[in-house]
Amino acid sequence: MTTGTPQLVISRVFDAPRELVYRAFTDPDHLASWWGPIGNTLPRDEIEFDVRPGGYQRWTEVNPAEPDLRVRVHVDLTDVTDGELLDGVMHVGGRLQKGVEPFATRLRVEFHDEAGGRTRLEIRQWLPERLAPHSAEGWRQAFTKLTAALTNVQVPYRKA
Amino acid sequence: MTGTDQLSAVFSALADPTRRAIIAELATRDATVTELTAPLAISMPAVSRHLKVLERAALISRSQSGKWRASHLEAAPLREAADWIERYRRFWDTSLTRLDAHLAALQAAEPATERPADDPRERA
Repeated sequence: MTTGTPQLVISRVFDAPRELVYRAFTDPDHLASWWGPIGNTLPRDEIEFDVRPGGYQRWTEVNPAEPDLRVRVHVDLTDVTDGELLDGVMHVGGRLQKGVEPFATRLRVEFHDEAGGRTRLEIRQWLPERLAPHSAEGWRQAFTKLTAALTNVQVPYRKA
Repeated sequence: MTGTDQLSAVFSALADPTRRAIIAELATRDATVTELTAPLAISMPAVSRHLKVLERAALISRSQSGKWRASHLEAAPLREAADWIERYRRFWDTSLTRLDAHLAALQAAEPATERPADDPRERA
């Protein structure tokens, strides 16, 4: 599923100018220094960026503790606005953890100005449709209601 | 059944509003088919079919007590489904904390970084 309501929405403010936060996502040296779980490294010679609409971002993630695993991340950028927006489909493949299959997920990152020279990052992620054999609408509702159910919020029982 | 298949079964089961309503009801108490049917605008056989789907996904178990057969919510598979989504949130939380630190380090190293001017005279 790449449209409709995203399953994951994350909003966060950084005390840095928008230009710099955007660069942290689009400059290979910067991305390598913060991306991914702690312990992961991104070999510099395997990072390849061509940031523009229709361009791409590619890199490999390696964890020294598990040198056999080489996770390849390949983002096809569909929509790019300099300093403001990165939207595309992220393909995760390569040699993954046991039990984890390659998957693709649409990812949209928006960069917004906040007062005081700060930047608000809006991340939206549409999780893999491979696990959703049924309709997109049912899938969307499932995630929404699942969250509600798990936090013990009462779902209206009677049908409208 | 592998972990992925289990997850597929759980998400498929949850993709139906009636089944989610049944789960919500079972979250408050165990209930028989009759009790579950009462608030729904569908027949008892239809509710039974939904219960079978939920049972296959291991989201509920059914016990026989006398002539009453009660459905019981099994929380574990629901938790696994939530954990599956939560993995992505944790990934972003960890990464963004490191991004925060990285940005702070960058700005400390380059104090000359220009901030957008708030002075109205600067606006064209």
